[in-house]
Amino acid sequence: MDVTMSYETQNLWTWWLAVYLYTGGLGAATLAVTFLTDMYLKPHRNLVIWGAGAGVVLLAIGSMMLFGHLLHHLAAIHILNPLVFFKKPDAWIAWGTQFIIWMMVWGVLYALPYARETPFLKRLPLIGKVLEWGLVIKICEAVTRFRKFVGWLAVINGVGVTVYTGLLLQSFPAVALWANPGVPLLFTVSAFSTAMAFLLLIMYTVIKDAEDTRIRLLYERIDLVLISAELVILFSFYFYLKRGSESAMRSWELLFTDFGWLIGFIGFGLIVPFFLELRGVVKGWTSHVPIITASVLVLMGGYLLRHYFMYAGIYAYPW
Amino acid sequence: MTHYAMVIDLNTCVGCNACMAACALENQTPVWDDHKWRTYVHDKEIGVGNSVHRRFFPRLCNHCDNPPCMSVCPTGATYKKANGIVMVDQDLCMGCGACAMACPYHARVAITYADVALGEEFYGSDYRRSSPSMDKCSFCDHRVEKGLKPACVETCVGSARLFGNLDDPQDPVAQVVASGVARPLMPHIGTRPNVFYIDDLKWRG
Amino acid sequence: MAWSLPRLSRRAFLKSSGYGTAGLGLLSPLSTLVTQALAADDEVKEEVSYSICNFCSSLCNLRVTTHTKGGDKRIVKLDGNPNSTLNRGKICARGQAGLRQTYDTDRIKTPLIRVEGSQRGEYKFRQASWEEAWDYIAKKQAAAQIKPWEWTMVGGWTSCVFYMNWAVPFAMANEVPNIVASPMQHCVTTGHLGTDLVTGNFNIHDEVLPDFDHAKYILLVGNNASIGAVSTCRMVRFAQGRKNGAKIVALDPRCSETAAKADEWIQIRPGTDLAFMLALMRILMQEELYDAEFIRRHTNLPFLMTQDDKGEWQLVTDAEGRPLAVEEDTGNPRTLKKFSNQNHKDQEGRPFTPGLQVPEGFSLEGRPIKTVFQVQLEELAPYTAEWAAEMTGIAAETISRIAHEFGNTRPAIVDPGWHGARFGNIMMLRRVQAMVQALIGGIDSVGGWMNSGEVHHKAHLMYQAMEEGYEMGAPLANLAGMAFAKMVIGAVSQGDNFSHGKPGFAWAWNAQEKAAGRFNVALPVMTDSGLRESVEGQLQFKGEPYLTRAFIINAANPVRHYYPDSYWKETLGHPNVALVVMVEVLPSDTAPYADVILPNTTYLERDEPTLYGNGVNHDLALTTRYAAIEPLYDTEETADILLKMTEVISGNREGFLDWVEKLTGLKAAPVKEAYAELQKTQKKGAFAAACRRVSFAQTAARLGTTPEAIDAILRDKGVYLEERKEKILDQWSMPRRMPVPTDSGRVEFYSGLMRGLRDGGHTEANFSVLATWIPPEYRDGEPATIALEADEFFFAYGKTPTVSHGSTNSNNPVLAGINQFKRDIYKGVWIHPERAARLHINNGDPIRLTNAKSGQVTGGHAHITRLVHPDTLFVYSSFGVENKALSRTHGDGTATNKLIPYQVEPVVAGFRSQEFTIRVAKV
Ligand SMILES: Nc1nc2c(c(=O)[nH]1)N[C@H]1C(S)=C(S)[C@@H](COP(=O)(O)OP(=O)(O)OC[C@H]3O[C@@H](n4cnc5c(=O)[nH]c(N)nc54)[C@H](O)[C@@H]3O)O[C@H]1N2
Ligand SMILES: Nc1nc2c(c(=O)[nH]1)N[C@H]1C(S)=C(S)[C@@H](COP(=O)(O)OP(=O)(O)OC[C@H]3O[C@@H](n4cnc5c(=O)[nH]c(N)nc54)[C@H](O)[C@@H]3O)O[C@H]1N2
Ligand code: SF4
Ligand code: SF4
Ligand code: SF4
Ligand code: SF4
Ligand code: SF4
Ligand SMILES: [Mo]
Repeated sequence: MDVTMSYETQNLWTWWLAVYLYTGGLGAATLAVTFLTDMYLKPHRNLVIWGAGAGVVLLAIGSMMLFGHLLHHLAAIHILNPLVFFKKPDAWIAWGTQFIIWMMVWGVLYALPYARETPFLKRLPLIGKVLEWGLVIKICEAVTRFRKFVGWLAVINGVGVTVYTGLLLQSFPAVALWANPGVPLLFTVSAFSTAMAFLLLIMYTVIKDAEDTRIRLLYERIDLVLISAELVILFSFYFYLKRGSESAMRSWELLFTDFGWLIGFIGFGLIVPFFLELRGVVKGWTSHVPIITASVLVLMGGYLLRHYFMYAGIYAYPW
Repeated sequence: MTHYAMVIDLNTCVGCNACMAACALENQTPVWDDHKWRTYVHDKEIGVGNSVHRRFFPRLCNHCDNPPCMSVCPTGATYKKANGIVMVDQDLCMGCGACAMACPYHARVAITYADVALGEEFYGSDYRRSSPSMDKCSFCDHRVEKGLKPACVETCVGSARLFGNLDDPQDPVAQVVASGVARPLMPHIGTRPNVFYIDDLKWRG
Repeated sequence: MAWSLPRLSRRAFLKSSGYGTAGLGLLSPLSTLVTQALAADDEVKEEVSYSICNFCSSLCNLRVTTHTKGGDKRIVKLDGNPNSTLNRGKICARGQAGLRQTYDTDRIKTPLIRVEGSQRGEYKFRQASWEEAWDYIAKKQAAAQIKPWEWTMVGGWTSCVFYMNWAVPFAMANEVPNIVASPMQHCVTTGHLGTDLVTGNFNIHDEVLPDFDHAKYILLVGNNASIGAVSTCRMVRFAQGRKNGAKIVALDPRCSETAAKADEWIQIRPGTDLAFMLALMRILMQEELYDAEFIRRHTNLPFLMTQDDKGEWQLVTDAEGRPLAVEEDTGNPRTLKKFSNQNHKDQEGRPFTPGLQVPEGFSLEGRPIKTVFQVQLEELAPYTAEWAAEMTGIAAETISRIAHEFGNTRPAIVDPGWHGARFGNIMMLRRVQAMVQALIGGIDSVGGWMNSGEVHHKAHLMYQAMEEGYEMGAPLANLAGMAFAKMVIGAVSQGDNFSHGKPGFAWAWNAQEKAAGRFNVALPVMTDSGLRESVEGQLQFKGEPYLTRAFIINAANPVRHYYPDSYWKETLGHPNVALVVMVEVLPSDTAPYADVILPNTTYLERDEPTLYGNGVNHDLALTTRYAAIEPLYDTEETADILLKMTEVISGNREGFLDWVEKLTGLKAAPVKEAYAELQKTQKKGAFAAACRRVSFAQTAARLGTTPEAIDAILRDKGVYLEERKEKILDQWSMPRRMPVPTDSGRVEFYSGLMRGLRDGGHTEANFSVLATWIPPEYRDGEPATIALEADEFFFAYGKTPTVSHGSTNSNNPVLAGINQFKRDIYKGVWIHPERAARLHINNGDPIRLTNAKSGQVTGGHAHITRLVHPDTLFVYSSFGVENKALSRTHGDGTATNKLIPYQVEPVVAGFRSQEFTIRVAKV
C-alpha cells in the first residue's frame, strides 16, 4: 500500500546501456547528417565514408553491448527477423533493432559507390576484394541511379534510431525521469549535437579540407542551436523532476546534487562548449583548438547525459 | 470469461515465507540466489516513534491488464492469456531485460546460463527449463489450468492469499475487490494490476 | 507511448497466444528444433502419495508429488494434504522445503566411522559398510565392557513422536535406564507440565489445540512459533479467528511474527509474564468475571482446605481420601467422589450446589477451613495490577483493562503456550494460564481450548478400563494424561525395574545431591541433569561409581540444543566415554562427537513402522507415511537399527520384541513371523515393514475392517477419519462429559502432585500447591526489579519461521535462501535504536555479547529496530551452526548455546535460559 515506500536506483541496465544509447544515437545521427550534407549541400565522399563508417562501427559497438547482456543470445534471432513488426508493433526495441539493421544496410549501400573510389578502402585486404565483385559493381550502379532514395531510407532509419534511444527509456512507466515526452526529444537533440561535434572533430583533425569551411560553420551554428535546445529541455526537466512524483523527486535529488551531472555534464558538456561555439560563430576563433575542445566536451557530455539518465532512474516501490 | 486476480490480506499474513518456498519448488526458481524469487515477502518496520508496526508484505507479478512489460517486449515472449495471466515464453525470450525495466513492481528475475546449469543439477531430471530467460510469477498458470490454486495460495498458512475470478460476481475475490476494501498497488501508473491488497492498518485511538 | 496503447497490446496478445507454437516456429526454426528434440523424452509421469511432515511436532499431513521422467523418479513438490482437517491443506515454509532434506547434498549417505587417531570433535570420518559399522560397535562394546546402565539414549522430538514405541522397549530390553529427550527441558515438561498440572492432559507434543476459529478474544503469552511462525494447524485457525474479528493481544518483549498480527502488542519485560497473569487472575476471581457454574462443577476450587501445623495447605478429605465441599446456601459439608468429572453430586450421588466460599469462621474438627477458591484468592491478594505494573513495566491500567476485556468477552482464549524453559517461573506461568482458561470455562469447548481427538479417545478407553476394572496393558499406547507421565517417571526413576537395580543417572544424581543438602531436581524426567557428573565419575549409587560411558543419539542434536554447547562437547568428548553411536540424516553440530554415524532414511523415503494418531487434530484420525521414492543412499530404518543395536549390545532380541508387545500392544509373534518372511525379499527395513504389517492388521481388527481397506483409504486420502470433533465433544468433552486425566478427574487449581513433592522436601515456590509468584533472578541473589546498566539488557530468543529449533534444516537450500534474503532480521541481534545510539552501535555493526551472570562471550551483528523492548536483546535461536559439513549454514548468525549457561529450575530441570542479563559492546 502507499504508506511506506522504498526507492531503488535501477541496477539492471547500467553504464553499458548508456554506451548503447550513446553510440547508437551518435552513430545514427552522424550517418544521417553526412548523408544529408552529401545529398543537398555538397557531394562529399570523405564525409560519407566517415559518416557511414562511424554509423556502422558505433552501432555495432552499441549493439554488442546489448547483445552481450542478453540472457539468451540465440533467441535474439527473433528480433532480427523483420516479421517481428507484425508480432510486436508496440515494442520500441523491435523498431529500434530494425532501424539499426536497415540503417546499416542502406547506409552501406549509399556509401558503396564512394567506397569503390576510396583508395584506402581498396587497399584493405578483404574489403578491397569485395569491392571488385561484379555484384557489388552492379549494386553500385543501381544505388547511383536511386541515390536520393537510398539516402533517404538510410536517413529515416538513422533518425529512427536516435529517436528510438529516447523512446526506449520513455516506455518504462515507473520511472518519472524516463517516462515523459522530453526524453526522446532530449536524446534526439543530444544525438544530433554529438554528431555535429563528432563531424567537426573529424573535419578539423582528419579531413582538414579548406573547402569545407561553409559546412563547418553550418555545423557549428546547428550545434549551437542544439546545445541551446538541450539546455532548455534540461531546464524544464529540472522543474518537472523537482515538483514531480516520488520517483521524479528522487531522481532530481540524485541528479541535481551530483557534481558529475552539474559540473561534468551541464557545465563542461553543455555550457562551456556553448560559449566556445558562440564566440566562434559571433566573432570567430583564430585557432581550431577551441572548437576541437568544444567538440570533445560535447562528445563527453553526450555520454554523461545517458550515463546519468540510466543511473538516476528511480523506482518507487510501495513496500 | 475468466479474469484471474489475487487478493492479499495483510491482516493475516504472518511473514512465514511458506509462499516463497512453495513457489520456488513449484516453479523451480533459482533458490541459490537470494534475489531471485518469483514472490517476496518483505518484513517491514513502519510507523513513527513508539507507534511501530511490523508489516509483512508479499509481492509478486501483478498480472497487469495494461502491462508495460508486455508492450516493451520485442520478441513477443511476454504475452497475456485470455484468462488475464501475463506469461513469459521461455523459448522466445532473449533476456534483453526491457520488461524488467518496464515493470513498476520489480516482478521480474533473470535466469542466466549459470542458473540453468545449476538448475539442472538442483532439480535433476524434472527440470523444465532448457534456456535462460527473464522469469516471473505465472499465477501458476499450469496449476490454474487444471483447476488448482497457485502454489503460494494453496499453502498460505495465514489464508492471506486468495485467488479468484473477477468476472464471477459470486467469487469472494471479485466481491472484495469490487467493495474497494482490496486495492491495487500504484494504480496511477496505469498498469491496471490484478493483485489487490487489504490494508492492515486501522487507525486506533 | 509504447505501453499505453491498450488496443495494440491486446492485438499483440491475441496474436501471440493465437499463434502459439506456429507463430513461434515461423520466427524461430532454431528453438523449435531444440524443443522438438527434447519432446521425445519429455513424458512425465506424475504420482501422488501421502506422508507426515518431519520438521516440527505440529505433524502436518502431507501430500507428496513425484515425477518420473526417463526412469528417474523424483519428489518434486510437497503440499498440505487437502483431506486433512488438521492442517487444512496447508504447510509452512519448512514443510514446503522439506523435500530438499532428502536431496541435501550434505546428507550422510553411508555409515561413517571416525578415523583412527582422530579426536571426537574433529569431524574426521571414513565411509564404511553397515557390516563394518556394526562390527565396530560390537568390538567397542566388548572391549570397553560397557554395562547396560552406562548407556544413555538421546532422542529428539521425532524419536519421541514416531519411535517411542521402539525406543522405550529398546531401553527396557537392554536395561538402559537413561533416556535424555531434547524437548523435555525446553518445552514438554517445563511448559506443558505446568498446563497439565491443571488439565491433566500430558501427552507427547500433542495436547491442546485452541479453537481460534470461534474465539472472540485471544491473549497470547510469549507465543510465536507455536502459532504464526509456525505451527500450521494453529495458524490456520488463528488466521480464521482474526478474519472473524477476534481481538488479539500479544505479550512479547519483541514484535514477533505473531505479535505483528495482534491488535495490541504489549512489550513485556522478559520473565515477568507470571506477574501479569497473576494480576489478571486476581481480577477475574475478585470481580467474579468467571464461569461460576463451570468452576463449581468441574474444578477443585470448591474443595476444602486447611493449613497443617507446618503451615502447609492440605486438602481436607475423609478417611478414604475423598475431598469435601460445602453446600452453597447452607454451608454444610458434603463428601465428593475421589475421581469424577463433577462436584454437583456428592459421593452418594445426591445433587447439590458446591460453594466457592465457606461461611465466615467455618471449621471442621477444630481447624479453620477454606475452599481452594478462597485460599487461592488470598494468595493472589498482593498481586494487584499496580504490583504487576512494577514487575512487568506495563501500565496498571493496561493490565486491568486487558483483564476486564478478557473476563467479559466469551469465548476467549489465553493460548496455553508451547516452548517452556527461559525462566524458573515458566511452569507456574503456564499453570496460571491454564487456571485462567478454566476460570472462564473455556476447556474443551467451542471457542476455547480443545483437546485432541487422540487424547479424548485414549482417556475414554482408560476410563472405560478403570470403570470395568480391567488391566489395559500397552501403557505407551493407552495411558492418557498424567497417568502416562507417571508411568514414564516410574519406569526410569526406579532401579527395581532393571535387574541391575540402577535408576537413571539423573535420578541417582539428584538423590545424591538431595542427600548432600544441595540444589536438586525433583522430577528430572529424561533430562541431562547429572550427565556430566556421571561421565566425569562424580556420581555414586549405593556406594559404587555410576559411570556413563556410551551414547546412542537418535535424531537429536544436543550440542546445539542444550546449554551451553561446551556441556555436551566436553561430555561426549570425555575420555571416560567409550562409544558414541549416532543415528542421523545430516552432519549436525553433534555429529563430530560421534564414533559411528548410522545414516537414517529420510522421512520421504520411508514407510513408517506403524499407524499414528493425527497429532493435535480435534478430529480422531489415523495416518502414516508412505515412501514416495526408494531410498537414495545406503540408509536404514530406525526400528531396524534399534533391533540390530539390541542384538549387538545385549543379544536380547526376543526381549526387545516382548517389550514392544508389553508396552505398545504390537504382538511379538506375528511381527517375528512377518520379519522372517520380509527379510527374504528386502535387505533393509524388514523389521519396520514387519511391524507396519502387524500394526495395520491389529488396527483393522480394532476398527472391524481389513488392513487392505485401511491401506486403500490412506493411499487415497492420507488420513483415515475415525470420528468428527463434534461427536467427540458431544460424547467425551473433558471435564463436561468425562473426567480430565488428573488425579481427581477435575480441573485442578490445587495440585496434588505438588503436594506430594513438597511433602518430599521440595519447598521452593516452584512447588507451590496453588498459583503464586516466582521472581526471575536476572542477577544472582538480586530481586526481580533491577536497574540495568547502560550496556546491559534482558535477553529473549525465539524460533525462526523458516528453521526448526537450531536444527539442520537451516542448511536446506530453499530455507537457507530465504534466510539469506532476510538475513538482517533473522540473523542479527535485535537492539532498540535508543539503546544502540547510547552505545554508538549502528545497524549491521559487529557486536560482542557477554553474559553478565556466567561470563560467556559471543558475537553477532546489530539489527537496530524499534520492534524490540528497549531493555531487551532478541536473537532468533536458529543460527550459529559450527559444523562446516553443513555447507549452507555454518558460521552464520549468533548461537544461543554459546550465551546460555547451565542453569535449571528445580521441578523438571527446565532450562532457565533467559534468566540473566547481557552486556553489549561494539567491536
Ligand atoms: N538453539 C536452539 N535450541 C533449542 C531450540 C531452539 O529453538 N534453538 N528449541 C528447543 C525445543 S522447544 C525443542 S522441542 C528441542 C528440539 O530438539 P530436537 O528434537 O533435537 O530437534 P530437531 O532439531 O528437529 O532434530 C534433531 C536432529 O534430528 C535430525 N533429523 C532430522 N530428521 C531426521 C530423521 O529422519 N532421522 C534421524 N535419525 N534424524 C533426523 C536433524 O538432523 C537434527 O540434527 O530443541 C530445543 N533446543
Ligand atoms: N518455525 C518453527 N516453528 C516451530 C518449531 C520450530 O522449531 N520452528 N518448533 C515447534 C516446537 S517444538 C515448539 S516448542 C514451538 C515453540 O513455540 P513458541 O513457544 O511460540 O516459540 P518461540 O519462538 O520459542 O518463542 C515465542 C516468543 O516468546 C518470546 N519471548 C521470549 N521471552 C519472553 C518472555 O519472557 N515473555 C514473553 N511474553 N515472551 C517472551 C520470544 O520473543 C518469541 O517471540 O514451536 C513449534 N513450531
Ligand atoms: S504464506 Fe501467506 S502468511 Fe505466509 S508469508 Fe506468504 S502470504 Fe504471508
Ligand atoms: S507486474 Fe510487472 S511483470 Fe507483472 S504484468 Fe505488471 S508490469 Fe508485467
Ligand atoms: S527479456 Fe524476454 S520477455 Fe523481457 S522484454 Fe526481453 S524478450 Fe521480452
Ligand atoms: S502464483 Fe505461482 S508463480 Fe506466482 S508467486 Fe504464487 S506460486 Fe509463485
Ligand atoms: S508446521 Fe511446518 S514444520 Fe511443522 S509439521 Fe507443519 S509443515 Fe511441518
Ligand atoms: Mo519444543
